[in-house]
Amino acid sequence: MTDLERLEKIICEYKELEPGTLTPETTFQELELDSLDLVDMTMACEDEFGVSIELDDNLKTIADLLDLIRKD
Amino acid sequence: MNMLQSPICELLEIRYPVLQGGMAWIADGKLAAAVSEGGGLGIISAMNANASWLREQIREAKSRTSKPFGVNIMLMSPFADDVAQVVVEEQVPVVTTGAGNPSKYMSMWKSAGIRVIPVVASVALARMMEKHGADAVIAEGGESGGHIGEAATMPLVPQVADAVHIPVIAAGGIGDGRGLAAALMLGACGVQMGTRFLVAKECGVHPVYKEKVLKAKDIDTIVTGRRLGHACRGLKNAFSREYAKKEWLPETSMEELEAFGVGSLRKAAVEGNEKEGSFLCGQIAGLVTREQPAAEILQQVCEEAEALLKGASQWVNG
Ligand SMILES: Cc1cc2nc3c(=O)[nH]c(=O)nc-3n(C[C@H](O)[C@H](O)[C@H](O)COP(=O)(O)O)c2cc1C
Repeated sequence: MTDLERLEKIICEYKELEPGTLTPETTFQELELDSLDLVDMTMACEDEFGVSIELDDNLKTIADLLDLIRKD
Repeated sequence: MNMLQSPICELLEIRYPVLQGGMAWIADGKLAAAVSEGGGLGIISAMNANASWLREQIREAKSRTSKPFGVNIMLMSPFADDVAQVVVEEQVPVVTTGAGNPSKYMSMWKSAGIRVIPVVASVALARMMEKHGADAVIAEGGESGGHIGEAATMPLVPQVADAVHIPVIAAGGIGDGRGLAAALMLGACGVQMGTRFLVAKECGVHPVYKEKVLKAKDIDTIVTGRRLGHACRGLKNAFSREYAKKEWLPETSMEELEAFGVGSLRKAAVEGNEKEGSFLCGQIAGLVTREQPAAEILQQVCEEAEALLKGASQWVNG
């Protein structure tokens, strides 16, 4: 699985979405994730990828989150 | 003799494991000093105020007590950067944070020797704060007055306590020694109370506000603001009922709703405006029936908890 697929899997499970419905451009706003959800998902990603993610205000899309994961 | 023991008392150099929660427009230097003098940790609320107001309040507190106290920083405040600096310059021993993620100030505060205690409403946020170096977390349940999350104190506290290694302070719905004892049983090391301290003698909130809290019963609070993503618990009155009605009407725009709420806490806390004010307060208000000096509140809560904890073995056979 690619990183994007792994990330997609986490988000799809979190939001009970069908796999394949997300693109890197999908925004968290579209997914209706509030700030607590975002923290929750970030921690799930840290566990999955074994990285430390620094949340910042510019985090808007799935691609942004993927960048943060790869930066670590 | 005071017997309650907790790592929080050592960490914060306080006698009783009780914090007075930051309360916007209400928790000033005078209240914080009274709570700290009484053996708890008083907290000044920086809310949306600017640096000079906060500095004044810090100095007011220092003039009234030599004991440690804290400042609550609301991270969404337009002055957050400024007040984050003021607590360093004034060498405030403890900072609690609300409404967001304080990680960008963490290293500045830590290197100034400040104990940083974020308020969290979920396990994930607690874990994230621990990772960023928080000294403890306040797990605040939705029974609280003010801005709230979804989880209630009873389920939230043990889950947070399991998830982090730093001390957990329970908040939301705690108003007496029973609440404190129960919080310790849930895995917390101490408690933060807001509503009970609203009616402390030294609390300068408008007398109408105090009267309403003292009179409130168990089911007299309501949550509004969920649609805007900032749920708030307060007393039922003309303002909150109107808000609740407007909130989910399709013709009410988000902007209109936002504008309707602006300034409402100030109207309640400063002006005592019963109709247009937002009287934020927690579900525990029904248990709060007497105005008392802060020191007396602390002593009463802790002595009651001690007696309960000492007698806890009555529930176990053999
Ligand atoms: C009137 C009022 C204003 C509050 N303002 C703030 C605030 O500005 N920042 C914050 O972190 N918490 C705020 N809180 C939450 C308190 O600090 C505390 O966590 C809460 O009141 C605990 O629950 P309790 O009311 O059941 O004791 C406020 C609470 C009340 C009642």
